Amino acid sequence: MVETFHNLLLGFTVALQPQVLIYAFIGCIVGTLVGMLPGVGPLAGISMLLPATFGLDPIIAMVLLAGVYYGAMYGGSTTSILIRLPGEAASVMTCIDGYAMTQRGRAGPALAIAAIGSFIAGTLGVIGLMLLAPTLANFALRFGPPEYAALLLLGLLMLAYMTGGSMPKTLAMAGLGLLLGMIGIDAMSGYTRFSFDVVELADGIGIVPVAVGLFGISEILLTASQALPELPKNPALRELMPSGEELRRSIGPIARGSLLGFMIGIIPGSAHIISSFVSYGIERRISKTPERFGNGAIEGVAGPESANNAAATGAFIPMMALGIPTSPVTAVMIAAVMVHGISPGPMLIAEQPNLFWGFVASMYVGNVVLLILNLPMVGLFVSLLRIPYAYLYPCILAFCILGCYSVSNSVVDVWIMLAMGAVGYTLRKLNFDLAPVALGLVLAPMLELSLRQSLAMSAGHYAIFLERPIAATMLGLGSIMLLFSLKPFFSKAHSDWRAKVGLDEVN
Amino acid sequence: MKSHAIALWLGILMSSSSGLVVAQENYPARAVTLVIPFPPGGVADTTGRPTGMALEKILKQPVALVNRPGAGGAVGNAAVANAKPDGYTLLLALSSISVIPAADALFDRKPAYAIDQFAPIALLSADPTILVSHPSLPVKNLKELLALAREKQGQMSYSSSGVYGALHMPMEMFLHHYKLRMRHVPTTGGGPALTALLGGHVELTGGGPAAISAHVKSGKLRPHVSWGASRHVNFPDVPTFKEQGADIEYYIWAALLAPRATPAPIQKTLRDAVRRAVADPDFKNAMARVNSPIQYMDAPEFASYWEADARRLAAMVKIVGKVEAKK
Repeated sequence: MVETFHNLLLGFTVALQPQVLIYAFIGCIVGTLVGMLPGVGPLAGISMLLPATFGLDPIIAMVLLAGVYYGAMYGGSTTSILIRLPGEAASVMTCIDGYAMTQRGRAGPALAIAAIGSFIAGTLGVIGLMLLAPTLANFALRFGPPEYAALLLLGLLMLAYMTGGSMPKTLAMAGLGLLLGMIGIDAMSGYTRFSFDVVELADGIGIVPVAVGLFGISEILLTASQALPELPKNPALRELMPSGEELRRSIGPIARGSLLGFMIGIIPGSAHIISSFVSYGIERRISKTPERFGNGAIEGVAGPESANNAAATGAFIPMMALGIPTSPVTAVMIAAVMVHGISPGPMLIAEQPNLFWGFVASMYVGNVVLLILNLPMVGLFVSLLRIPYAYLYPCILAFCILGCYSVSNSVVDVWIMLAMGAVGYTLRKLNFDLAPVALGLVLAPMLELSLRQSLAMSAGHYAIFLERPIAATMLGLGSIMLLFSLKPFFSKAHSDWRAKVGLDEVN
Repeated sequence: MKSHAIALWLGILMSSSSGLVVAQENYPARAVTLVIPFPPGGVADTTGRPTGMALEKILKQPVALVNRPGAGGAVGNAAVANAKPDGYTLLLALSSISVIPAADALFDRKPAYAIDQFAPIALLSADPTILVSHPSLPVKNLKELLALAREKQGQMSYSSSGVYGALHMPMEMFLHHYKLRMRHVPTTGGGPALTALLGGHVELTGGGPAAISAHVKSGKLRPHVSWGASRHVNFPDVPTFKEQGADIEYYIWAALLAPRATPAPIQKTLRDAVRRAVADPDFKNAMARVNSPIQYMDAPEFASYWEADARRLAAMVKIVGKVEAKK
């Protein structure tokens, strides 16, 4: 504990350097904007900023990109609450009760609770990151291929278990993602699969062009075909204060959302998006007055908004300690530090204490910055939404293409992105959820490689997964979860609340 | 308006007709592009950046670095192989450039490029790999290791940077020479291969001297033998395969290449520039910072070095064969 405190002091000496501070601030502002702009989620935002970080110090690059990530979790709530347009996917749940509160004239308190919940969850998340990551890193060298395979499998099961909505549709999308992940050189035999003699495809399809296409481009196309939303009214600062009743109702959801989001964030395969879905589902299930949900229940804002922030922070634990991304966003961030010759993994915290502790400390600072940004300055950000789409969206489109090209100077990537934009548009018109596609694409190569590495280690004996205690424990947990999901009651309740709150409309 | 357009066209015509001769005499007249066929941060990148900066000072023209990663270097290599041979597009190649065409031939793939599409300019660095084991493996030298490996034929395992990758080829050379069989656990790069060994999930790997040195010092890895022709400066106690009577040699090297048809005078200019660049103190410092030993060779010497190396590697790829076929 003393050591942790000492390390944290070291971190603050790094994080409070003016230069680092400035970049943390820039990251938070960009993140807030990115979170607010529909179509540009944290992934697109980070991808676009990535080339700009190549010339920066690695710690500054991390601080900047992390600021964009958790900043987007704050910013996403603003448009959801004010105009029922989720700025990024994790804020979809906030639209439901947040917008209902706006209609009842309680927009201010909804915004305030979202920011306060995000702040508390974000700060608790950093404390968890600080305490857990070094322990996990010491432990992490014991994570060999069998443990990774089991962990990834557990993550996929968790994803399947928690995703609501139509199961066949979710599975179809996850399958599409897994298939896309099959493209490229087979790591064990050297054969190229599905590359059609295109040299660029031999490496597989990158997550950046797919994610920017699926989420960014498709959103731009979708918005073009929709009626313009009503222009939001600037909320005044004095209208922001929630009532005592609203505060009291929010405490539980914030606490539960923080804990739940943090845990979901840690597990590879799930993401901040799922965390807000699960949090909303839980709050509604345990509420004594579930009928209020959908009609402006503040719990429906407090829970999901806390959960997605905690998940964004929790996701940094496996990234920092094990070097594995739990989401496309952390995958791009790993690429960002690898540019500087630093590979996140079990050795990172020991070898780069300045980087890790400076990063942790910068997140404490960043959360304070965001709270300040998001409460008094919310009006300023809202005015950004007044830029006519005819000007705003072509700019975003240009940024997407530039960002995608600059990741590896490849025109093929741009074509992939544009094709994925068309695919994403079609699938969203047909009410498919696209998050499983991106996750499948990221996880398929990792799961395949670790599974086959394990089997190479054991010369083909599957017993290797049961002989190693960590792997066996995780597989055991996964089996228990499978048993639970057989309980029809749960799955029924799950699809129920989605239907009731009219989630399909939002999607 | 019209006269402006005509003047512009005339200008373009004149500049293009004066074409090649002038281009050769004035080379370089504009910015030179140095293609790095790997992502930023890797060996190619950390060697290419100081090289580009040193050349910039000598050529008095900007040298722009462009990362064209993909397919283990094949994307960037192919881009330069097919680039206009005017001296304005150069390649910072790693030794894997020789393996890719051999692997393409093995799998009946359309080759991304051929080795004879390049003209060698100069070798910049070369480093042998060193065989290391996890300390839990009860062997202290190559002899004990060989004895154990023969006793546990087919049961020991090693990690590599990927199938046919820079750390797979030397291990196959070693195994082939001593007629050993081991389980191969490919990973996604030199870092993960080392992590797998540090965690004790495999027993051996061949590692770059820079990557393993800290772990060897702290006793987390045990070095046994080097693939170099002579002992490595930083590992004076580690014998070479040659000393142990095995004719095995392997280096991971980095070199500057140009498209084959690049005019001879331009190649000459570039060779002179590299000769001066490797003596630049800034270049030396930058290379020392990233632990890359400078190993300079001018084009004629490097050409025969490369040819020998390419022959060794192509033969090895054939021997390794298709991984599946061996099962």
